[in-house]
Formats: sequence, C-alpha cells, structure tokens
Amino acid sequence: MHLVTAIIKPHRLEDVTTALKGIDANGVTVSEVQGFGRQRGHTEVYRGSEYNVDFLPKTMIQVVCEASDADKVADVIADAARTGKIGDGKIWISELSRVVRIRTGETGPDAL
Amino acid sequence: MLGLGVMMLGLWAITWYFSTKAGATMLGQTTPALKADDVVNPLNTVWVLLAAFLVFFMQAGFMMLEAGFGRTREVSNIMLECIADTCLCGLLFWAFGFAFMFGSGNGWIGHTFFFLNNAPATYGSTGVAFLAFFLFQFAFADTCSTITSGAMVGRTAFGGDLLYSTAVSGFIYPIIGHWVWGPDGWLATMDTPFRDFAGSTVVHTIGGMIALAGAIALGPRIGRKFKRDGGGMPPGHDMVLASLGGVILWFGWYGFNPGSTLSAMDFGGIGRVAANTTLAACAGGLGAMLFVYPRSHKWDTGISINGFLAGLVAITCPCYWVSPFGAICIGAIASVVMVLAVDFVEWLRVDDPIGAVAVHGACGIFGTISLGLFATGQYGLPGATGADTSITVDGLFYGGGAKQLGVQILGSAVVTVATLAIALIVMFAVKSLGVLRISEEVEIAGIDIHEHGAPAFHPEFAYMGHSAIPSGSASSSVKLPSNDAPSVGVGD
Repeated sequence: MHLVTAIIKPHRLEDVTTALKGIDANGVTVSEVQGFGRQRGHTEVYRGSEYNVDFLPKTMIQVVCEASDADKVADVIADAARTGKIGDGKIWISELSRVVRIRTGETGPDAL
Repeated sequence: MLGLGVMMLGLWAITWYFSTKAGATMLGQTTPALKADDVVNPLNTVWVLLAAFLVFFMQAGFMMLEAGFGRTREVSNIMLECIADTCLCGLLFWAFGFAFMFGSGNGWIGHTFFFLNNAPATYGSTGVAFLAFFLFQFAFADTCSTITSGAMVGRTAFGGDLLYSTAVSGFIYPIIGHWVWGPDGWLATMDTPFRDFAGSTVVHTIGGMIALAGAIALGPRIGRKFKRDGGGMPPGHDMVLASLGGVILWFGWYGFNPGSTLSAMDFGGIGRVAANTTLAACAGGLGAMLFVYPRSHKWDTGISINGFLAGLVAITCPCYWVSPFGAICIGAIASVVMVLAVDFVEWLRVDDPIGAVAVHGACGIFGTISLGLFATGQYGLPGATGADTSITVDGLFYGGGAKQLGVQILGSAVVTVATLAIALIVMFAVKSLGVLRISEEVEIAGIDIHEHGAPAFHPEFAYMGHSAIPSGSASSSVKLPSNDAPSVGVGD
C-alpha cells in the first residue's frame, strides 16, 4: 500500500477531485496548508508597508491506494493540477507498513 | 458626618438665596413664552438626526451581510468597497447629488443648493434643520449605493467600482429620486401622487436594478455553476457575520422608516411605522423559512435572513398607510416574492452572491405596488406639527378603488425600466473601458491580495518573523529570493 501526497494550487482542487473520482479512488483527504518551494513566498502590503511573506497557501491531497495504483493516481493528480506556471506544486509517494479500517478492524488492502 | 454637615449647610444656603429678593428676581426672569417653532423645529431636527445615525449604521449591517455571504478571498475587498462608497457618496451628495434630488427645478431634476449653497435654516416645511435633513438623505443615498455592490461581489475591479459608484450616488440615484421625492418631481406632483414613504422604490428598486445591471455586465464569478447547469450558489463563508449583519440592518431600519416622517410631532405615525416595520420583518423571516422548508427539509439560515430583509424592503413604501395586519400580509408575501426572484435570477444565469436583485429589486417593486392594495384610507401625510389627514391614501382591499394602485404600478414601472436602462448603459460603458472586472489570474489568486495587498484572513504563523521591506527599495535589494517569482501574490 502506498500513500500519494500532493501539494497543489488551491483553485485546482475541484478538477483534481473530479479526476480522482473518475479513476474510482477509494478516498481522499484534503487539508489547507501553507508553505514554500522554489517559488519562495511573496510580498504583501499592510497599512502602507510592504512585507515579505514566506508561506503561500496551498492545498494538500492525500490518497492511500494499492502499490500498483500509486503511479496512476499521481499521474491523474499531476494532469489535473497542472497550470504550467510557477507554484504548481509537488507529488510524492511513500510506502505504508500498515493500514487499519477503524470500524471493522480490517487491515491491509482490505482496509482501503 | 462632616460631609452631611456640609450638605445641610449647602441646602440651607440655597433655600436662603431663593427666599431673598435677588433669587426671586432671577426666577421671575424665566424665558418669554415659547413660539411653536422653538419647540417643533428642535424636536423634529433631533428626531431626524437620530434616524440619520440609525440609517448610517445600516452600513455596518451591509458590510457584515456581504462579507458573511461572500467567500474568504474577497472580504477585504467588500469592506473597502463599502467604506470607499460611503466616503465618495458623502462628497458627491454634498457637491451636487443633494441639489439634483432635493433642490427645486423641474419635474425631472433639481438645480438649487449646489455645494449646499443658499441653504435656508430648515428644509421646506419640515421644520428640520437643513443640514440635518442633508445628513439623513445622504445616509439613504449611501444605502442605495451599497445595495448595488452586493450583486457585484468578488469580481469587480476597485477602479471600476469607484467609477460606477460615482455614477450611482452622484447621478442615477439623485436624479431618478427627484422624480419621486423632489419638491417638484413629476411623479410626486401628479393628480393622484405616486407615494413611496421611505423608499421601496427610490432606494431599494433603484439599488436592486443597478445591481442587476452590474451583475449582467460583469458575468458570473469563475467556477460559478448555476442551478440549471447542475450547480448552485457557493455557500457564504461566515453565517455569524451574515446573520448579525441582517439583524443590524433590521435595527437600522428603525431610522429608515419611522425617521421618514421627518416629524417627531406625528408621534402616532412614528409608532405605527415602527410597529408595521417590525411585523413585516417578522412575517418575512418566518415566511421565507417555511416556504423553502419543503424543498430541502432544512431550516435555511441564509434564506431566512433574506426573508426578513425582504419584508423590511417591501414595508418601506407602505409603512405609514397600512394596518399592522396589512404589514404582516405584505411581509409574508414579500418573502415568497424574494424566494421566487432568487430562483429567477439563478435561472437567468446571473450571479448575485448576496441576493440584492431579489431582496431589494423584486421586493422593492412588490412593496411599492402593495400600497395600492393595502392602504387603509385612514392616513394622510405626516406634517411638521402633526399628522395631516386632509388627503388620504386609499387601497383596493379597503374599498379605496384602484386609482392609487394604478399610480403605484405606473411609478414603479417607470423607475424600474429607467434605472435598468441607464444602469446598463453605465455598466457597459465602464466595462468597455476595461476596468469593470478583474483579470482571471487575479480572480483565482483572490481579489484581496491583488487589489488590497493582503488577504483578510491568514494563519498567524505565516507572518511570524516576516521582514518589512524598507521603503524605496521594494523593487530592488530586498525582493523575493527567486528571480522568477511573481510580484504581489498573483499567480501563486
């Protein structure tokens, strides 16, 4: 089992969600996050003064899936989230040692 | 003990003083007999000022309502638009808005009192100090201007907002308002005059129609799907703000309607108007809540807020001339009119985030016409020294015939069509200059960060240890580390 984590631009979320539904992803967890990558932060203005703000608002998507599906999930997210401009985000895939479905106690792929 | 002694001594001294001849003379010199104006004018002025302050407070209500029904990314923009519109409206109304609206001239436009010059002590026969009357009417004009912005939330460029607001509060509202409320307005001087007590037509229909024109010219927000395309209104971000804003508007309405008597001496009228205003709001709130329940089987907060506002808008025109039961009927019908109008606007694929077109436009029209149906025929006009019942306003349901009804339909139709036509021309003119709407890139990043420099809400940790950029060097030394990073936040 793999965990696909993607950091995307917030306004791409709707398209990404639609695309994930299209490949029957078992579930998606979404969080509002702040961070910076190579893009760094940006400047803001407050009461006439300019400030550097280090972190930009981004959306984090997490999908747990079978190891064989992980690449497909990542590709689908990347295609749906891409705008071609700086700040489109990153996707990384990590291996999971154990997954438990809380209601039934099932573990492993059955829990997905 | 010592204090008590001092007090007794003081009391004795006062008693002694007034028992002497000097004291007697002073008391005997009480003011000479007051003239009626010396009592009436201050009373009326204080009453109108109190009402003006309440109407002004409606700005706070509008700001909260619009912010609550809006999305987080556009809240700072909503706040500043309302603030800037208010400031702009005050100066324009001083310079020429008031002159166009309340100056005498012809049936179509007034042309005295420019820059408030040559002002008399009191306005007309009201007995209200001229500048107090000006302040009261400015608060009304500001309300109209703010109603407009409600349908244009989230996508109007700030420069475009300033331009069209100038047209609204400097020209459209005062000139069309003159037809109804001007001393010689043509709708006000017909054989059976068109009646609009506190502005269902003048403030709300005009505001609602300009809002409709603005929303049509702008087009919907990016990503907005309409009901018949399988979507719906994106939910507002804060129902606490929206609800409190609605109730603050209700509170401000106690200045809007009762204050429009312009006379504290017509105390019966003030009481009736205040009670009718309340009852219409109550019926409207419950009416909308119950009317939409069968659709979703939910007790809908947002639509209930717009429901009592619909009742308030509708009762604004007839509040002086109807009975409390009539007010309840008007409020209840208005809430249904509002819900159906929301559906209609949605069907037209016009994006009106606050519901300004339905609440102010549609219910303003219904309220104006309802006077011709529900006026009891018992009441005339408020006068500076008391109610004047030499002329009465008669409604169809109370055996008064259809004459007033016909006039109300005519007046409402003329104002609605004229406003919509002029507003469409203004909005499309501003659009053709390319300043009405923000770019797609800006709208996606959020209008707040682009137009106003920063979002309204942000996590605190993003600002811990931020570095201020020394003024003058913003574009050179202390810039973003990455050379291909964008400037001010756009295209994150």
